[in-house]
Amino acid sequence: MAADVAAGTRSAAAARLVAARRLVYLYFRCLGQQMKAIMAYEANFIVLMFSAVLVQLAGLAFIWAIFQRIPDVNGWTFWQVVMMSALIFVTEGVGSLFFEGTWRLSYLVYTGQFDQMLVRPISPIVQVLAGAVGFNGLGNIVTGFVLIGIAMANVPVQWTPGRVLMLVILLVSAATIRVAINLASAASTFWIRSPWSMVPMFVHQLGDFAKYPITIYSVAVQALIVVAVPFAFVSFFPTAFVFGVEAWSLAGLLTPLVAIYAVVMAVWIFRVGLNRYESSGH
Amino acid sequence: MPLIEARGLTKKFRQAVKEPGLVGSLKHFFTRQYKDKLAVDHIDLSVEAGESVAYLGPNGAGKSTTIKMLTGILVPTSGSLVVDGLVPYERRQQNARKIGVVFGQRTQLWWDIPVVESFNLARDMYEIPPRRYKENLGQFTEMLGLAEFMNIPAGKISLGQRMRADLCMALLHDPKLLYLDEPTIGLDIAVKDRIRKFIRSRVEERGTTVMLTTHDLGDIEDICKRIVIIDNGKIIHDGDLAKLKDTYARDRVIHFQLARPPESIEPICAELPACELATDGLRLSVRFDRFVFAAGEIAAAVMSHVEVVDFRIDEPEVEALIRKVYLGQLSLDSPSQPAPAVVEA
Ligand SMILES: Nc1ncnc2c1ncn2[C@@H]1O[C@H](COP(=O)(O)OP(=O)(O)O)[C@@H](O)[C@H]1O
Ligand SMILES: [Mg+2]
Repeated sequence: MAADVAAGTRSAAAARLVAARRLVYLYFRCLGQQMKAIMAYEANFIVLMFSAVLVQLAGLAFIWAIFQRIPDVNGWTFWQVVMMSALIFVTEGVGSLFFEGTWRLSYLVYTGQFDQMLVRPISPIVQVLAGAVGFNGLGNIVTGFVLIGIAMANVPVQWTPGRVLMLVILLVSAATIRVAINLASAASTFWIRSPWSMVPMFVHQLGDFAKYPITIYSVAVQALIVVAVPFAFVSFFPTAFVFGVEAWSLAGLLTPLVAIYAVVMAVWIFRVGLNRYESSGH
Repeated sequence: MPLIEARGLTKKFRQAVKEPGLVGSLKHFFTRQYKDKLAVDHIDLSVEAGESVAYLGPNGAGKSTTIKMLTGILVPTSGSLVVDGLVPYERRQQNARKIGVVFGQRTQLWWDIPVVESFNLARDMYEIPPRRYKENLGQFTEMLGLAEFMNIPAGKISLGQRMRADLCMALLHDPKLLYLDEPTIGLDIAVKDRIRKFIRSRVEERGTTVMLTTHDLGDIEDICKRIVIIDNGKIIHDGDLAKLKDTYARDRVIHFQLARPPESIEPICAELPACELATDGLRLSVRFDRFVFAAGEIAAAVMSHVEVVDFRIDEPEVEALIRKVYLGQLSLDSPSQPAPAVVEA
């Protein structure tokens, strides 16, 4: 009897694993199709990529100029702030390279093309995420990683294997939070029906706040980017943790939990929104 | 247990009350006026496995909305709906494995990649066993003539080719149920024919249940035995095609070709009360109620007065008939002849 139950849960777990593997496989399968399409038809992604990089570097130049006048901002050094920006770049790049589809959701919903995703045997969320490839993200990812490397070399921190592992975990969590935020804000289109909803863009802009130490903001802004739209966990808290800034580093440990919270909320918002979907009248 | 069972199925949309143009948009922005539109209004529908149903109605009647609820795309405002033991909008993915969907105005194919790659993607999504896939793809390619554009991206093939490819893709996983929303819209006769033949073969060989909305009555006569008519969100007729003809297509017309122009048609009129006669040179036509006269009686009466060279009988036109139903010229609840299969009137 007990063995039966154990076997039962084991096979249920196995089934779930198979299902998850299938989803990941199909996700990359769909994404691969998009990639082929872009390779075939779109040559201007290099331009897009470089313009994204230039915009980001201009932002950094601004930070650098500030630090020429003052030695630190609320106790944060130049390279720590660079690290925060870099995390914003990398996650933004991951968001567009692999999950650009969220940006197309409002258009699909408005035109009713989203119908198709509801009559296929795969989660519509996976289909949305895999719906497009944004090669311009490549620029952000590369810039971001280069900056992370430089910042790591310029802060007085011992790079033990444990710390490096933690950095990887934090990076993955940060990217997850970013994608979850993108998905949730894209789902706003189920409430605000318009082909080019401004909400996702607005939420995206909130990410810019998290390029700087959150201690420089009012409590209201802090609450916004820590709790409501947890961009602070994409950049600020992970930076504090890996660079061992004691006052904030413990909160950095929460990042993986915040990632789970963000995913659960995003999926929930998406599902609630989905039931409001009305297709289009033609 | 029917395959599709809908009771009191209703969908209400909230539509913006908006005047045209920029001024209208601005006004709407401030007034925020909406009105409710009952697109589907308490319909009851049950479809048995293996049936093929034509779902007709004028533009805006609620056909597509019904299909979208049946396929799980839309959540009904009220009413109950079970399709093969599942509530479609609660179990979308399970439902999706059992159905094939083709919307005439949209495509399921990936726009930028060769058609065959869309099929391969469908194979992976639906986990179609390789042998089955190969068999089906081979058979469908042959029947629908897909070979010539198999390697061209969907965005670069013609509408007729796209429709055929869409149909193939919708059926690769052998769905129990096939929903077609205006599948032949805008296609030429040859393509229409091919598509109809293909659908019929699915119905006959696999017992696929088909629900089809259309404006094209050729689709109905070729594929469907049962006709459901919806108007203004309400079902106004549900019954088989033959019965619809029997019940409502009472008028027939016989056209005679005469040897000589008739001197007068008065005597024939006298013999055939309540019939409409018309002459034009050597032609004479008689419109009659086939429940009052047999065609033979009409012919005999005419021939007893004039010399007839040739004649032919017009079959009742389904098209004209259904148009009359739409226009409300046929009252479906009070025919004097065989009891009609009327659900609501
Ligand atoms: N997504 C929608 N939002 C608002 N109104 C809609 C929507 N879809 C359909 N309608 C309205 O509902 C009615 C029925 O539409 P539809 O089911 O598409 O009709 P049909 O397919 O029979 O032509 C129409 O008046 C249409 O304008
Ligand atoms: Mg329609």
